Amino acid sequence: MMLVATLALARRALRGLLRRPQFVAPLVLFPTVFLAVNVGGLSRTTDLPGFPHVNGFLDFQLSAGITQSLLLGGVSAGIAVALEIEMGFFDRLAAAPIPRASMILGRIAAASVIAIFQALYFVVLGLIFGAQIEGGILGLLLVLVIASLAGTGFAAMGVMLALLARNASTVQGIFPLVFVILFVSSAFFPRALLEEPARTIARFNPLSYISDGMRDPIISSISWGPVLEGIAAALGLVIVFVGLSVVALRGRLRDA
Amino acid sequence: MAAIAARALERRYKSGLQAVAGIDLTVEPGEVYGFLGPNGAGKTTTVRMLVTLLRPTGGEATVAGYDVATQPGEVRKRIGVALQEAALDPLMTGVELMELQATLHGIPKADVVARSSDLIERVGLVEARDRRVGTYSGGMKRRLDLAMALIHRPEVLFLDEPTTGLDPVSRLTLWEEVRRLRDEGTTVFLTTQYLEEADVLADRVGIISGGRIVVEGTPAALKAQVGRPHLDITLTPDADVDRARGVVSPHGELQPPTEDVHLRLTVEHGSASIAPVVRALDEAGLTVAGMQLVEPTLDDVFVQQTGSHLEGAGAPAA
Amino acid sequence: MRDSWLTIRALTARAMNEVLRVPGGAIPGILAPTIFMLGLSSVFGEAARLPGFTAEDFRTYIVPVGLLQGAAFAGAATGVNMARDIERGWFDRLLLAPQPRGVVLAGLVSSAAFRSLLPGTFLVVVALVLGVHLPSFLGIVLTIVLVMGLAAVMACWGSVVALRFRTQQAAPLIQILGFVAVLFTTAYAPFALLTPWLRAIAHVNPVTYVLEGIRQGFVGDVTWADTWPALLAVVGLLVLLGAWAVRSMRRFGT
Repeated sequence: MMLVATLALARRALRGLLRRPQFVAPLVLFPTVFLAVNVGGLSRTTDLPGFPHVNGFLDFQLSAGITQSLLLGGVSAGIAVALEIEMGFFDRLAAAPIPRASMILGRIAAASVIAIFQALYFVVLGLIFGAQIEGGILGLLLVLVIASLAGTGFAAMGVMLALLARNASTVQGIFPLVFVILFVSSAFFPRALLEEPARTIARFNPLSYISDGMRDPIISSISWGPVLEGIAAALGLVIVFVGLSVVALRGRLRDA
Repeated sequence: MAAIAARALERRYKSGLQAVAGIDLTVEPGEVYGFLGPNGAGKTTTVRMLVTLLRPTGGEATVAGYDVATQPGEVRKRIGVALQEAALDPLMTGVELMELQATLHGIPKADVVARSSDLIERVGLVEARDRRVGTYSGGMKRRLDLAMALIHRPEVLFLDEPTTGLDPVSRLTLWEEVRRLRDEGTTVFLTTQYLEEADVLADRVGIISGGRIVVEGTPAALKAQVGRPHLDITLTPDADVDRARGVVSPHGELQPPTEDVHLRLTVEHGSASIAPVVRALDEAGLTVAGMQLVEPTLDDVFVQQTGSHLEGAGAPAA
Repeated sequence: MRDSWLTIRALTARAMNEVLRVPGGAIPGILAPTIFMLGLSSVFGEAARLPGFTAEDFRTYIVPVGLLQGAAFAGAATGVNMARDIERGWFDRLLLAPQPRGVVLAGLVSSAAFRSLLPGTFLVVVALVLGVHLPSFLGIVLTIVLVMGLAAVMACWGSVVALRFRTQQAAPLIQILGFVAVLFTTAYAPFALLTPWLRAIAHVNPVTYVLEGIRQGFVGDVTWADTWPALLAVVGLLVLLGAWAVRSMRRFGT
């Protein structure tokens, strides 16, 4: 029953996304613009001492674009759930004979699929503009695995925020915060070259490990250290945020 | 010079939909004109063209003597508009909105405050004037909207469905206000889907259906076209029917009897006719089991013209 | 004439309600450019060590970008608010006023110009605290003029989009253009260090010259050579987009 309900709601979430392209655009367009500007403006930084060896700055930046897009996807999932709550659809689900957790697991599961496409978009974009995936097919698969896990974790975080905040505009206000957390990580620039206090914070920021984990198979042949750290960080986020969102759900249903 | 004059006014949307298919109407200064029709008939589209918010795709119209298509600025100076959705800013207070409206309509700075206060008082919003409009009830919003429409003392006032969704008391208050405006010489163009409203307020009524005016005239004249009012009198079973008929016949025209104890008397003057008939029957010692005045309504007029009812969303007549 | 001035003033005052009367509503817009600047400089700060970089440190170099982002955001918000007002029917009220369309537009757009000073001031204060060198008085005046000018330009763009699509869902379209216009310039690095494709775009992007007009005071002295292109760009954009916006307003409802 849990599986059936979850799959049905996951399908609904996916359909909803495809039918509203104005939600898709910011998810992917905005990080693309950012990627283009970063690459266009700061390519020469690859000359700086301490910068890892890369084919091009674009290769380095791709995983940042993916991570940023996945984070925005998480916020977007949160907004969708907040709107559902505001519109009463959520109450309808609560009245249905489905397991409580499946009310939110559907959307979270959908995110794991959407994340793969988000990652693929950037990979293809990168390939078109001259990037190379040093790690080959296996490398690409690892990128997709980490992206899928991370996307799931971020969506769970978004859903948790929606359950706690109860209205869509609060969740939307979180958007700038997303940037802050991403900035204090090694997503956009090698950790060793960050200024303090960003450098220290980045060491403890899971986004650093997720980005680095996706970056490694792109810029070099696979080193299992960063990749496994990336998988672990993403998996950790999934476990923590799915758990927290189920708790938040229970709390909300109890109070309603 | 007519206050409002439209000839073959037309609006065809880019999608091909013909919302208004050729409207001719004339409204004299100081008149209350009731524009009546079911939802979707083209009322709001017509109003939007007359108030210069929408450009006609055919025909022409003048309001307060100026052409709506070629001289919209002059038209706007002379009209007041209260649209269906009371378009107010919830973050502003009542008095702030009044003063903004005054400024937008070019009222000299020295007069803005005084006029705003006067109108707020007139519509009974003095206590709420400094509260944000977001806290107002529906009726209060409509009243403010009306006050705002009057700030520049327009010659012609357009009210689009002013009482839709209002409680009965608010509705009566608004009717009072319309009568007062008419007495002051303002021309009022009133659109409504409520036939009672048109019947009670309007000097003349135009009924629109399918984008065209199907019939126009005073409410009394229109109803008279359908038929005159009649009294349905039900006598008690033991009554002397022939005598009763003799008693009532001077007060109107007796219609052919349908059943024995039922009399149908067509009368001239609606409810004014009831008392004399009752008195006559009473003086003759005849008891009446029931009496009902049946008047044709504007709905009957509509049915006669279009085959559908006015209220009840266009259900075909029985 | 006096009518027009009063109208513009009244509409500007109303628009400021958005900022003053909605608790916390304006805060993300005010903080965002500063957050962006702080984040960007802590990430890419080392870039300033590249040979050919024309500022002492990255932070000083990108403060002008933050100022323009604040301007772009204020302008975009005006457009989004207009779309909302159209959806709600409030805009009909403005159209029914016997004022020339240009005057109504000026009222709506000027509020954006004033609004842009809020994130800008916050950003400059934070930058000052962090040791960024501020321009001379002339440079500050020029900065204010250029920031307000770009905000007005973006508000005109936002109005064009709002009048065309008549729904708040067009918001991303307004915002993305502002974002692109400000960043596809010498935002992160001088011309010499940009990749060829970005350098080409930056050369033709009028906002680049506005950016450089602001930046000159922060990294050195204000010179006429760097000032006149900036003023020309702002005035030119304002004339073009302003005309487009007025035309859109006139055709609204036809």
